[in-house]
Amino acid sequence: MNDKLNLHAALAAATCALLGTPVAAPAADDASQRWSFDTSLLYYGESDDRVQDISAALSAQRDFDDDRKLSLNLTADTLTGASASGAISLDRAQTFTSPSGKATYSTPAGKVPLDDTFLDTRIALSGSWTQPLARLYTVSGGLGFSNEYDYTHLGANASLARDFNKRNTTLSFGVAYSQDDIKPVGGAPIPLSQMLDVGDLRNKRGDDSKDVLDLLLGFTQVLGRNTIVRVNYSYSDSSGYLNDPYKLLSVVDPVTGDTVTRVAAGGQGPDGVYRYENRPDSRTKQGIYAEMKHAFGARVWQLSYRFMTDDWGIDSNTLETRLRWPLGAANFIEPQLRYYTQSAADFYRSSLIAGQPLPEYASADFRLGEFDAVTLGIKFGHRTATGNEWSTRLEYYQQSGDVPGNQIVGRQAAREQYPDLSALIVQFGYRFGL
Amino acid sequence: MHGPGAMSLTREPDHWVGRFVAMACPCEVLIDSPTEALARVVVDCVSQCAWRIEHKFSRYRQDNIVHRINTSNGRPIHVDDETARLLDFAATLTAVSEGRFDITSGILRKAWIFDGGTHVPAQADIDALLACVGWHKVLWDRQALQLQLQPGMQIDFGGIGKEYAVDTAATLANSTAPGLSCVVNFGGDIAVVNERRDRQPWKIGIESPDRAGTPTHIVPLLRGALATSGDSRRFVLHAGRRYSHILDARTGWPVEHAPRAISVAADTCTQAGTLTTLAMLSGAQAETFLKASGAKYWLQ
Amino acid sequence: MKILLAAAALLVVTGCSSLGVQPWERDVLARPEMSLDANALDAAIDDHIYFSKEASSGGRGFGGGGCGCN
Repeated sequence: MNDKLNLHAALAAATCALLGTPVAAPAADDASQRWSFDTSLLYYGESDDRVQDISAALSAQRDFDDDRKLSLNLTADTLTGASASGAISLDRAQTFTSPSGKATYSTPAGKVPLDDTFLDTRIALSGSWTQPLARLYTVSGGLGFSNEYDYTHLGANASLARDFNKRNTTLSFGVAYSQDDIKPVGGAPIPLSQMLDVGDLRNKRGDDSKDVLDLLLGFTQVLGRNTIVRVNYSYSDSSGYLNDPYKLLSVVDPVTGDTVTRVAAGGQGPDGVYRYENRPDSRTKQGIYAEMKHAFGARVWQLSYRFMTDDWGIDSNTLETRLRWPLGAANFIEPQLRYYTQSAADFYRSSLIAGQPLPEYASADFRLGEFDAVTLGIKFGHRTATGNEWSTRLEYYQQSGDVPGNQIVGRQAAREQYPDLSALIVQFGYRFGL
Repeated sequence: MHGPGAMSLTREPDHWVGRFVAMACPCEVLIDSPTEALARVVVDCVSQCAWRIEHKFSRYRQDNIVHRINTSNGRPIHVDDETARLLDFAATLTAVSEGRFDITSGILRKAWIFDGGTHVPAQADIDALLACVGWHKVLWDRQALQLQLQPGMQIDFGGIGKEYAVDTAATLANSTAPGLSCVVNFGGDIAVVNERRDRQPWKIGIESPDRAGTPTHIVPLLRGALATSGDSRRFVLHAGRRYSHILDARTGWPVEHAPRAISVAADTCTQAGTLTTLAMLSGAQAETFLKASGAKYWLQ
Repeated sequence: MKILLAAAALLVVTGCSSLGVQPWERDVLARPEMSLDANALDAAIDDHIYFSKEASSGGRGFGGGGCGCN
């Protein structure tokens, strides 16, 4: 062929003459090289002035040539309020030593003891890179970091996917590993040790850490022009410090069921016997997650189910469904419904009985108990004339659980043992491109 | 009105799609329109444009300029401005391809039948046809707009007509609805007109020409054009050799060792189509040629 | 267990080779809301909330976490 530069010029001139137009502005050769952003502002508020959280998230994605993709995420949230400490409610007021070991706080009679959560700010950063490898493979790798006053997380993950059957079937395999450092306020309490007076730190140790290894085996299948399904098998192995350093168990009288009293030196300490929880130092979880998306015309129905089981004895079932319903060309509304139910951990107990030998593991954390949860939500989205999208989501989350009858002692039966939790979630989202 | 075919308009979540058949292939227009009325106006003008160009330049009709030229039997024929521009463009392609591309080479198809079969014509038949091939044997008077072929010669805009139709329809769509974004797709030759309202690229899938199970490549296009040349079903298998349907006008034989399919992105569909054609004609050097051209390309 | 799962997955892959669509039938699946990763940010937010309130987490992707809230 002729000299390439001349060729280019000759072709451009000939095209221009043929089409009778000036040569167009250069085609957006880097058409794919743009940023798109997804942002969100979230309010999460529990009833009874418990935990309130305000969180802002920014997710940025840049597409490069050849289906390569960079994604970056930043989340910042601020947490205030209090959460249930695990101690039972009584007909009298209760006094506790705060986690720092420097002060006390009290819970009024008849109320479930709450532990004042510190005003905490969490920053999380993560990034990932995805690209094709050979023709049918996709690889991706990512790093994550997050930090809060008593917790630091560092994680890395990698996954490989292969397409089969005209890209109608995809198999993927992923590995994630994370190392988290925990620096509890006032030090991590010695497991099952008793809560001590203010200034007495003999039951506190230093910092601790945990490691988590996750494996994920994924299978995606296009079932037809309107339907796609995904099934994942997940395996997760955690080891190290898995306790919640702020969770307690009340030590109760075997007859009355009331917390055994003690006298604090100078009144500066707990007026009852409380012990810190202890969980096993390893946990293996396995799960199956199945999801389907089906389009009915312009409407899209999503249904997912998850079963998880772990060697702490917790089994959970989750069913979630969403229906995206367009309203005209620019708007949509999406009702969402989720049902979750879990069984209790083997070592879950609402209190410890005085005079009995201490169990190896014990926790009264309500999150390890038996409960059901329902989330009702609705999302409304609007696409602007410039193609950006804003959305509002409103969700109501309600947990209700029970302490097993055989764990209720004496007068406990007359009191609320497992406080229901309800929360309101309001989220604003804005999605745009640059 | 040139309305030989039916046109349909359907609504997708974020655009409209008009479909019709022209130039023996399925054609579609994707329109980023807020209203059905506007989408319909654009599809109407694009389909009218496709049918007009098909009608005017098809070599299968007997009532158009190509037929008059091909049956001129040595007499000079007066042509209009649009035909003249296409002839000029074809002449440039012949020049830059050093004679490999030639709009008078269509009669070689009397010897070559690219249907996936095994028939290879005799060299004597090819030689006989080659006597009637060659732009240098033609008298093209640009000033007088007169074209004079030798008796027995024929022209065929097959290699450039569809891409030209895409660009012409795209220009027309923009003058009909200025600023509106749409994709004009005539059987895989594509032009994107204007950026979408959401400034996201249109995602254009490149189909693998033959092997079932070979994935689609998705090309995001904001503006610009894409053309594909392939030989999925159009080839001859002979003595273990696969001859593509791209004929070298100098030898009368198909180009060997060319990629199965080439897609090129460029400013206009005509440029993209030209680059795919020239790359195909480069045979084994196709990729070298495409690299040197600086265009974005995909090989299969 | 894992070997069994891998074998099951292979069976499914073979069994599903007759399922699916041709590349040109991907128009509906190509809609952004049909992507399994549509609304990734919503999903991440939900996962984070549920991670801090429930004993099970993850399943859809990696187990969430990276938070001292559980």
